[in-house]
Amino acid sequence: MQQYTETIREIAKKLLESGEVEAFIGYRKGSVPMTHRPVVIRKAEEVETLVWDSHCALNLANYVRDQKGKIAVLATGCNSRNLVMHVKEHQVERENLHIVGIPCTGMVDHRAIKKAIGDRDILEVREEADGETIVVEGKDFEERFKKSDVLQRNCKTCKHPNPVMYDELVGELLPEPENVGPCEAVEEVEKMEPEERWTHFESMFSDCIRCYACRNACPLCYCPTCFVDENRPQWVGKSIDKSDTLTFHFLRAFHMAGRCTDCGACERVCPVDIPLKYLTNKLNKEALAIYGYEAGMDPDSKPLLDKYKMTDLNDFIR
Amino acid sequence: MTRKVYTKEEWNSAVTRLAENQRVFAPVKEEKYTAFKPVNGRNNFDFDTLKTRMSPKQVVFPQSERMFEFSMNPKDENSGVLQESPKGHEAQVVFGLRPCDAMSFELVRPNFDNAEYRDPWWTDRYETTTFVGMGCNQPRQTCFCTSVGSGPFSEKGLDAIACDLGESILLKAVTEKGEELLKALEGGKDATDEDVKAAEHLAQAAEKGVSSAVETDGLKDVAEKALFEAEFWKDTFDGCINCGACTYACPTCWCFDIQDETYKDEGLRMRNWDSCMFPLFTKHGMGHNPRGEKYQRVRQRFMHKFKYYIEKYDGGPLCVGCGRCVDVCPANIDIREAVGLMNQFSKQGS
Amino acid sequence: MNTNTNMAKPDAPSAVEAWEPKIVAFFCNWCTYGAADLAGVNRLQYPPNFKVIRVPCSGRISPKLILQAFRNGADGVWVSGCHPGDCHYIEGNLYARRRFTMFREMMKFIGIEEKRLHFSWISAAEGTKFAEVARDVINDVKALGPAQKLIKRKAEVE
Repeated sequence: MQQYTETIREIAKKLLESGEVEAFIGYRKGSVPMTHRPVVIRKAEEVETLVWDSHCALNLANYVRDQKGKIAVLATGCNSRNLVMHVKEHQVERENLHIVGIPCTGMVDHRAIKKAIGDRDILEVREEADGETIVVEGKDFEERFKKSDVLQRNCKTCKHPNPVMYDELVGELLPEPENVGPCEAVEEVEKMEPEERWTHFESMFSDCIRCYACRNACPLCYCPTCFVDENRPQWVGKSIDKSDTLTFHFLRAFHMAGRCTDCGACERVCPVDIPLKYLTNKLNKEALAIYGYEAGMDPDSKPLLDKYKMTDLNDFIR
Repeated sequence: MTRKVYTKEEWNSAVTRLAENQRVFAPVKEEKYTAFKPVNGRNNFDFDTLKTRMSPKQVVFPQSERMFEFSMNPKDENSGVLQESPKGHEAQVVFGLRPCDAMSFELVRPNFDNAEYRDPWWTDRYETTTFVGMGCNQPRQTCFCTSVGSGPFSEKGLDAIACDLGESILLKAVTEKGEELLKALEGGKDATDEDVKAAEHLAQAAEKGVSSAVETDGLKDVAEKALFEAEFWKDTFDGCINCGACTYACPTCWCFDIQDETYKDEGLRMRNWDSCMFPLFTKHGMGHNPRGEKYQRVRQRFMHKFKYYIEKYDGGPLCVGCGRCVDVCPANIDIREAVGLMNQFSKQGS
Repeated sequence: MNTNTNMAKPDAPSAVEAWEPKIVAFFCNWCTYGAADLAGVNRLQYPPNFKVIRVPCSGRISPKLILQAFRNGADGVWVSGCHPGDCHYIEGNLYARRRFTMFREMMKFIGIEEKRLHFSWISAAEGTKFAEVARDVINDVKALGPAQKLIKRKAEVE
């Protein structure tokens, strides 16, 4: 995906110089390996700082709400579906967006790389021109990984690598993958007994430090006041008491029902490595199984929980 | 000052043995990463990992801490009266602190313990803790301890400091408390001149190995208001998502929020870590928020550490250069870049 | 300021024997609430283990409220509204149905016993159905024993 960088710079330059957009949202090369910084560029001469590679995994849809006027934004498959959701949920006007679509071959899981490297100091992680090899360099080592082995979990099971809504494209559309495997994390838990599942989640979330990185990295979490910040009634306590932490995560996940595009930002940003995908993936799975619904695939339809059919599933209701 | 040498086996068993009689913390290898945990004889020490994911500040300043308890049962003698939670602080020892982390307690202390007031929870725990450091033989690319007054073998804030000589551990007492600890630790033999030389050699090499630096020379004299109003704040850190990862991972971030919780007819007053990155941190009861914009909150974090602290305590900055905020930040907001901009502005702009 | 008021916790062994489930029931004002009334007027027998919260519509029920009931020690939650097509506000219960479907899937997934959470459509004329469902809900929850999960107890902090 590295070769996209040049094209992105050209597009950004063209858009900013012509005055078609007021700002361009993309990535700047990070000061540490595997983390790039989302940037809002307003001047054409700044486009040279833009980059694109396999470490651009925060969701840029998260940054469009703060902007005024027409803006351009880079969008991979999942990011573009979030932009669709944003338009549907009236967070941004379609005509104020110039979407630069990126057919995406997946993002690298920084945890997988760090785990494989151990406590050695990683100085640089780069991508070979073939787009399939990731090279990790340190002071006295160099290791190579096959990109497909170190992809983020959500990218491994990605069904929609191409943007669904865009004004122009960087590169050629990719073939939609067939026979994408199910989310293993969910299947694993489904096999457990209810008691086991509870213990599983209790221990999974026991590391949570309530920093809200998962919430803040998520483009869906734009409530002016989040339920964890509400008092009177106070839905959730502020300490790291396990009942409060669990309530936060369950309710956060539920708020993603029918909206999550599985971009993986929540899981990527967690400073204590909690596999947050379990809950949202389960809800995605049920939304598809019960209603045949996938978030953000169709710009014209209403969101899942904002519509109904008389024939909707009713068999659990007396 | 006493210096002793332990083989690695001796060292591990000495730490475990000490934990039989008192509370001992050490970096422990867990499933996902290494963290400071109470030693219980069953966990695996990990003195090799350079930086624990989270700082060891929770050893003295837990994320959630009971302060008072109260009863709301009218039949209770003390109904409606806050009673300080019994804590029973016992002496505790922390092993494996990196020198930067150790210095953080010294920097944080004036906030909890000064001429005007003394926070009993923090101070009691701090005073009963013995800090045993471990020098860093190989600093990381995000370490910049040497530019903020610490260093890979700095002894600031430590009672004793260890050096990993490869096959063995050299432990040196720094304070009286440290001398006591060396007496209490089992095993080991007196260090030879050779051991001491080897440690000095490692320390010198490590000092040179700190590749990252920040400049802070202009910050003390710049006018606070000018720096506060500098243009660069507004758009340099657009990428920040305003989570609390940096402040929670930081050894010197000390902010907390006091909460009351009630359960049927009893209640608890506790404090929890809070973060200046959250809008709620400064939101007033009537709805106004003096730091309503993202850039204002980002500015606050850097200004507090590199300007307000320096001004208020005539020391600092309030940063030990551990680089954890850079390591955990999902949006690559790099404190080194921020300080660079601040210092550059201070020298040109004022 | 947290204003939780926990219900009595059945902890002591003697209490377990005499234990009766506590159920929080959210009833729609326009139907199930009336049905409860009708059941009473007709002297239909049903156990008294639930605390009724009258709501304007089942569409008012946010999963927050259900979680809050469990956090405060409810052994079961029962939500009941108008039959599809009969909503006083035309479609409130139909939106609610989708929400409940997704929420229920999540609750099952995290390991909350399925039978602690009940939903029904009961019109104001169905006093008999009301008494029947009430008995079933209570029996189901009784069979599960006291709730143990998600309960907010005195914070376990240092």
